[in-house]
Amino acid sequence: MKWFKKYHLELLLVLPMTFYILGFTLLPLIRTIILGFQNRYTGKFSLSTYQALFARPDFLKSISNTFVIALLSLSIQIVIAFIIALVLKQRFHGRSIIRAIVLMPMGIPTIVSGIIALYVFGTSGYFNELLFKLHLITKPINWLTGNFKGLLIIALADMWKVLPTLVLLLLAGLDSISQDIYEAAELDGANSWQSFRFITLPLLKPTITMAVLLRAVDVFRIFELPQVLVGKSVPFVSTFAYEEYDIGDLNGSGAASTILLLMILVFAILWLKFVDRGGSFGNDS
Amino acid sequence: MTKKAWRKFGFILLVTAISSLMVVPVYLLFKISISRPDEVLTQHPTFFVHHFDFSHWHDVLVSGNLWAPLRKSLIVATGTMIFATIIVAPASYAISRLDRKVKLAYIGSLFFTKMFPTVGIALPIAVTFTKLNLVDSDVGLILAHLINELPFMAWILLSTFSAIPKALEEAAMVDGATRMQTLRKIVFPVATQGIAVAALYVWLNSWNKFTFALYLSLTTQTLPLEVYYYVQRGSFFETAAYSTILAIPVIFITFILQRYLKSEYLSGTVK
Repeated sequence: MKWFKKYHLELLLVLPMTFYILGFTLLPLIRTIILGFQNRYTGKFSLSTYQALFARPDFLKSISNTFVIALLSLSIQIVIAFIIALVLKQRFHGRSIIRAIVLMPMGIPTIVSGIIALYVFGTSGYFNELLFKLHLITKPINWLTGNFKGLLIIALADMWKVLPTLVLLLLAGLDSISQDIYEAAELDGANSWQSFRFITLPLLKPTITMAVLLRAVDVFRIFELPQVLVGKSVPFVSTFAYEEYDIGDLNGSGAASTILLLMILVFAILWLKFVDRGGSFGNDS
Repeated sequence: MTKKAWRKFGFILLVTAISSLMVVPVYLLFKISISRPDEVLTQHPTFFVHHFDFSHWHDVLVSGNLWAPLRKSLIVATGTMIFATIIVAPASYAISRLDRKVKLAYIGSLFFTKMFPTVGIALPIAVTFTKLNLVDSDVGLILAHLINELPFMAWILLSTFSAIPKALEEAAMVDGATRMQTLRKIVFPVATQGIAVAALYVWLNSWNKFTFALYLSLTTQTLPLEVYYYVQRGSFFETAAYSTILAIPVIFITFILQRYLKSEYLSGTVK
């Protein structure tokens, strides 16, 4: 009661948001999970929806595609963002202009970045023309057909869109490492690769974990880019769930969404447990 | 050339490559929207505009298909921004003043809701809104967009409010200000910049958002949805023009926001 008296204003201020999140996020999610476990026609509890889903090759394909795009996208993004962050960390003329340019795609809506990828990687697109001008190809390649090429293009479009955010995150992490450590290492005879390997990477681990988790959640849920770039030909769990909803199979859509939630949670737990080992969330205080 | 000169040359090459990677795609989009079809729809599209052709823009602006989606997008983005600010600003202040443990738990659960797949939330929302007759309405879409934007905004504002020392409030109270006066005259003015930045971000996110609009629209459209339909119909040039319209306010606002962008807004770390 004393606690209540002390914090009554705080409670009053927090309640609307809390209720909104409970009512519009948690409750719908529970409903989605329940929908997945209901029979489509009788409404009774059953595993029939899941059995039907796992018997469909395109659903299995969507699961493997989602895993592949997550791994592909994340590794390309983190590496390229790292390179750009290291470049922007240098002091050179026009650095602030280059920084502003690098942040440009941040303002591009995801769906527009998909459309740009469509123009660049289409059969008569600009990427083919560039390769042609460089005499690397003679016949145009259709980048948007075929499973792996489709995945690659989606990963590139996704990378382009999120690079600014990742670069900013990594730059902030790099700035927080004291210059003294590098100087000390240099005195002890470390070369630049050793400084990078034994100072930058370990000290940047919390930042990298944050970046990987934030991005992983988004890549697993990837929706707009496949919808624009490849349509149904390369299914992902998200787009699969939407297609099911679109044809009126609410239970199938619910079950697919539940699987997607499970995939995200498993990835987050595995990462925190095996790669990060409590490095960033654990010693938060 | 000496080794140093080679290094410098390589560095310049790298910076040029990075800058082109970022700028050229945006340029191409705009370029297509003002190009003659024979420069684009060919085996060898040109990288520069040789003949300007504004007929696609003319078509888009005159066709009448632009204004209704544009209006809906503007209303929904602005509505989402206003409601999010009203709900989140007080809540974030309160959370930032709670016990450290309670605070961390709340932030943890906010992060947890970020993991939920949008399609999993949109499905039951669409079912419920169909019953409540909220499909196609502006209010319905605002309610849906708030789902993502509330945790996002709380993320930013928590770090804003946490940075305001409690001693500042206590000093005001000692001088005889009531709790409400302290909030109105001390805390919120200090936090104004953070709130403004967060609100603009929310506006942008809502303006860009596509998934909920896809689930919750039957006859009306938002601008991203309109762009999507033009892609599906395969009209190359209208798509480019619509995309440019969609991207212009966003690029503009992001350039303004850059100055105020702090890294903790992105990572959500709380001091």
